[in-house]
Amino acid sequence: MSDMNPDEKAVPLTSLFPGERAKIVALGHGMGRQRHFRTMGLMEGKIVEIIAIQPARGPVVLNVEGTQIAIGRGMARHILIQKI
Amino acid sequence: MKKISLMGCPNVGKSVVFSRLTGVNVISSNYPGTTVDFTKGNTRIGVEKFELIDVPGTYSLEPTSKAEEVARSMLQEGDVVIDVVDATHLERNLYLTLEILERKKPTIVALNLWDETKHIGIDIDVDKLEKLLDVPVVPTCAITGEGIKELGSKLRDAKPSKTIEPMPEEERWLKVGEIVREVQVVHHRHHTIWERIADTTVKPVTGIPIAIITIFLTFLFIIEIGNWIIEHLMDPIFYNYYGPWIVSVVNSFSPEGLLHNILIGKSTIESLDFTQSFGLLTTGLYVPFDMVLPFVITFYFMLSLLEDVGYLPRLAVLVDTGLHKVGLHGSAIVPTILGFGCNVPGALATRVMETGKQRFIAATLMAIAVPCMAQSAMIFGILGRYGLKWILIVYCTLFVLYIFIGLMLKKIVRGESPELLLEVPPYRKPDVSTLLKKTWTKAYGFLAEAVPFVILGVFIVNLLYESGVIRVLSTVFSPVLTTLLGLPEGAIGALIMGFLRKDIAIGMLLPLGMSAQQLTISCIILTAYFPCIATFVVLLRELGIRDMLKATGLMILVSLAVGTSMRLILIGI
Repeated sequence: MSDMNPDEKAVPLTSLFPGERAKIVALGHGMGRQRHFRTMGLMEGKIVEIIAIQPARGPVVLNVEGTQIAIGRGMARHILIQKI
Repeated sequence: MKKISLMGCPNVGKSVVFSRLTGVNVISSNYPGTTVDFTKGNTRIGVEKFELIDVPGTYSLEPTSKAEEVARSMLQEGDVVIDVVDATHLERNLYLTLEILERKKPTIVALNLWDETKHIGIDIDVDKLEKLLDVPVVPTCAITGEGIKELGSKLRDAKPSKTIEPMPEEERWLKVGEIVREVQVVHHRHHTIWERIADTTVKPVTGIPIAIITIFLTFLFIIEIGNWIIEHLMDPIFYNYYGPWIVSVVNSFSPEGLLHNILIGKSTIESLDFTQSFGLLTTGLYVPFDMVLPFVITFYFMLSLLEDVGYLPRLAVLVDTGLHKVGLHGSAIVPTILGFGCNVPGALATRVMETGKQRFIAATLMAIAVPCMAQSAMIFGILGRYGLKWILIVYCTLFVLYIFIGLMLKKIVRGESPELLLEVPPYRKPDVSTLLKKTWTKAYGFLAEAVPFVILGVFIVNLLYESGVIRVLSTVFSPVLTTLLGLPEGAIGALIMGFLRKDIAIGMLLPLGMSAQQLTISCIILTAYFPCIATFVVLLRELGIRDMLKATGLMILVSLAVGTSMRLILIGI
């Protein structure tokens, strides 16, 4: 976890609000899912910005280096970030 | 003939590269049986002829869905691979590129969306990338056609890479990082104003109203323009020119009798009857060409437009929460919308769903509650004359069925319902020629598939009536039809025809002299009770015989139940 900043707490992606930015520190999940995330551009060390959060536990839309990705709330909970 | 596989991640503009390479006047045919999987087309580069296969987009060769499995097997088929890479997202696209190169097929890389890299401040050293990958790399901009010629001429230089050897996944990611650091420089930039505007379509507060307006305008376009084509083009052709001509031709050699009836029914020059005569050359052609084709064209035009602009993924995000309640997720909106065109591609598109449970639910709900365009066109056609109210009753009932059965299936079907994970691509300006080509291919596909079946259907109708079989069947099924559903005995003919073609089946309701209530009930039952034969065959292959039996049982139960309840609501006891 070379991207981890020891002074900042790692929290789930779902704790962010629309417009907030953070650094991804861990993807969680199994190998297959992690690979899928990475091939979509969602990797450790990247900066994510939350674009929208759908109501009623709907998906989160985020932006990672210009790619927008919609991701279910449950999956997003397992992705850990550090606020910047 | 050499085969070229066109591969790449989703949303890299692969289809545009495809249509650029194949040109306008090629016959690009859908691969038999797997219509939505991949398109094939022939192309001539220099003097050599090639067969080009447009493989569905995939992020990696380790498949996570059935559609990606197809992509992997298609890689093996090609003699040469064109790997289309999104130059604006080099890092994540290179993973698939490395995987392809590891297979040691002759490969050439198209660095597509090249013009956009400049707008957003990305510099890529093409020569260095070429050296590192050890295969030709050609910058392209498929939408303007830039670089496509060079891609074609460099095709002969495609070769297996010597520098990229098979490696484990972790190492591949490191390699990707290494290459990107060497060839790419990214200048920092901010969100543009256009991106901010684009974001409003995916934020719930603004996105949901925009989605409702978009869907409403889409339907308005399909119906209004479709009607316009019928009124100003198709009807005049049929009633002023074709009708009188065909009647006089048939009269000249067969003024009456069996052959006359089978060919043109009871039509005369004075009273042309295209809808109720049930002649092969009257109703058999009028239904597909006049009543259905105009709506098929407007439907596929709008669908292609929404698809090419990039709106569908946003719609998927917005409806995701709702579809979760029925055990699906946002991506299921695509097979559903396709189903409104034709259930066959809709059934195939359920492959985008990850699990068997989701595929079963998506396919069953579509077969029960989503009428295809041919069917919808006929529902508008025969119920429209009684007023919009009846059409709305049909569609609202089907919508309620979709939700109700979905809620139930989510509970009882075993398996997983994973969550949405979907890339939302940037909006793109659609390419008009690609758009028209897509629309034409789909409309042509409809005609090629529907016309023979409709004519066969009309022929069978004639046989059933002329031979008296229909009278026997009417008596047998009359308890269910009249007592339970409140329909005339003759409706059995339509229900039988519904196995073959739904449009003709609905057309058969007309001569029965039913009330608006009875017609409404019949339209609902005809939608829900069984898919047409073409859809059935595809579903059987996709779901397997056991799941298909379950789905079929459900369809019959549901249509009897909903038919009986609608009878009680609309007609009374």
